[in-house]
Amino acid sequence: MKPAPTLSTAFLHPAGQSLPEPLLALRKQRGTALVDMPLPTRKTENWKYSSKYLKLTDDMAISLPAEGKTGSSLAVPGYKVAFLNGVMMPEACEYPDLDGISIKSFGDLSDDEASDLADRLDSTLDNKAVQMARLNSARFEDGLLIRLKPDAVLDQPLFIVHEVTAEASGSAFPRIFVDAGRHSQITLVEEYISSGSAQVMVNTVTEFNVAEGANITSVRLNMEGENVQHIGSTGVLQQRSSRFESHTVGFGGPLRRHDLQVRLEGEGAECKLNGVVVTQGKQHYDNHTTIEHVAAHCNSEETYRNIAADQSHAVFNGRIHIHQDAQKSNADMNNKNLLLSNGAEIDTKPELEIYADDVKCAHGATIGQLDEISLFYLVSRGIGRREANVLLTMAFINELVEQIPIEAVRETVQGRLNHFFEQAFQEA
Amino acid sequence: MLSIKNLHASVEGKEILKGINLEIKAGEVHAIMGPNGSGKSTLSQVLAGNEAFEVTEGEITLNGDNLLELETEERAREGIFLAFQYPVEIPGVSNLQFLRTAVNAMRQHKGQDEMNAAEFMKLAREISKQVDLDPAFLKRGVNEGFSGGEKKRNEIMQALLLQPKLAILDETDSGLDIDALKVVSDGVNALRAEDRAILMVTHYQRLLNHIVPDYVHVLAGGKIIKSGGRELALELEERGYGWLGIKDEETADSSAN
Repeated sequence: MKPAPTLSTAFLHPAGQSLPEPLLALRKQRGTALVDMPLPTRKTENWKYSSKYLKLTDDMAISLPAEGKTGSSLAVPGYKVAFLNGVMMPEACEYPDLDGISIKSFGDLSDDEASDLADRLDSTLDNKAVQMARLNSARFEDGLLIRLKPDAVLDQPLFIVHEVTAEASGSAFPRIFVDAGRHSQITLVEEYISSGSAQVMVNTVTEFNVAEGANITSVRLNMEGENVQHIGSTGVLQQRSSRFESHTVGFGGPLRRHDLQVRLEGEGAECKLNGVVVTQGKQHYDNHTTIEHVAAHCNSEETYRNIAADQSHAVFNGRIHIHQDAQKSNADMNNKNLLLSNGAEIDTKPELEIYADDVKCAHGATIGQLDEISLFYLVSRGIGRREANVLLTMAFINELVEQIPIEAVRETVQGRLNHFFEQAFQEA
Repeated sequence: MLSIKNLHASVEGKEILKGINLEIKAGEVHAIMGPNGSGKSTLSQVLAGNEAFEVTEGEITLNGDNLLELETEERAREGIFLAFQYPVEIPGVSNLQFLRTAVNAMRQHKGQDEMNAAEFMKLAREISKQVDLDPAFLKRGVNEGFSGGEKKRNEIMQALLLQPKLAILDETDSGLDIDALKVVSDGVNALRAEDRAILMVTHYQRLLNHIVPDYVHVLAGGKIIKSGGRELALELEERGYGWLGIKDEETADSSAN
């Protein structure tokens, strides 16, 4: 038998050395642990449908240079932080000094702050389940640390734009760490975009530490180009009575992967996870979510929708794990999928593991096509076939798009969806 | 206006219509009656262009144009309107969006400017009153959670908005209580016009007390077996279908054997 392929050593050399010493040390230690790391193959359960899209050739191992200009597609009211190829661009950031809220690049941290952060990086993620997040820990060159003191409330959304410039092949390793103190509140938008057309990889990690009673709304927009492999992980650790709400919207690419892991560690914590994915052409997108009900009396609600056109391939894997002590858990997971062509593929797998005996746990997964009778009804009123298709496809995700909390974001998403529809439904 | 000659149609290889002949002139109201399974709904669906039904023989023309060459949406734009027996629920598309898209598709076809949201809202509110639908229905999903009567009123509302040349009403009276029947009938009567024809498909004659037809046809086993004036409907009401040599339960299917 052929030995499993391992991560090329070319990937084990981070470029930038401008981080505080404790973070450099951590990065080095994580890098050492990656030697001979097996790459996911189709026999790796959580990469079964996606490993064939993963292409980590040596030319991808180079760190993309942190220079140039950034331009977000979001013209939005709010505070802005811009990263280029994983490194913060101070001149493109706009946010005031805020009482009780600290927004800093990793590079600007004092040694004490960096040492504290180094102790806590990766603590929200199950590294066995997110193999590729470990690569980020060995390679990040900068990052964003957001700390909210108890009761601090960010009065406007914070937009974090992560742009990758693909003039030549290489990789970028964006990283965000959020520390939300007791009863603090923040709405945060991560937007991933790209320019240039070389084959590149973006490997992200975002972590949320959500203290008692804190309330976080997170929006994640995956808007990168056709040349970008994106492998992202988000870890969320929730304490008592906290709330985490997530809206992820993703457009397909050569490889798109997002792992979202939420741990409900304190009683009364709740999370709501919404996701919309659209793919076309030969694009791919894979969402893997895990919700750990560790403490009792927690609620989770998850709604994901995939739409796959042409020969594209979408994957959803939703795991809910209810621990033995997590009595009175309430978990509801729903995944619906729409195939717009015979050549498209969607793989969906709900996974429930329940060890407590007094819980409510519901799940549903469906895969279908546009309803012929609905289509006939619309066209019988003179509505063109293309427009009828668009109306019905939009109807499939409308409920989720409408829940995205910021109007400017909804408009950006709608603009991208319209572009998708133009490609997916050619005028007959 | 509408001319049907020797129309044969099948669904899933089974012949349902076996040679229909029918002429409808502008301004006329025709009723097609018949027992369950006689092919009434098939005829409606074929006229509207449902691709699940295959026309195997015969022709249909609308003002001289070959209807069978047109797609469903083109037929609608030429003035064919079908009020569905079972209007479809489409959650996620608001009734308002649906109606406005339809009206604007028609306007575009006629070379008129599209109506903006405010203009359309005004029109939609007026017409929803005419069919006694709360304008709040406009914000809900298409037919989503509507009662049977509300769905039927929504169909008539669409006919009033789209102003078709030929309105086909497929069992529009089914599932209506007497008050709703009155509202729907008033709506249909408001549609009556010199340049418009109405084709009502119904099992019972009670609708015809409210909307008085000029002609009544009896459809059985996929053919029109008798035509007459409105007195024919009253006779059917009194005597049932039996005296015409057909059983009410008889289907096109069994009569073929």
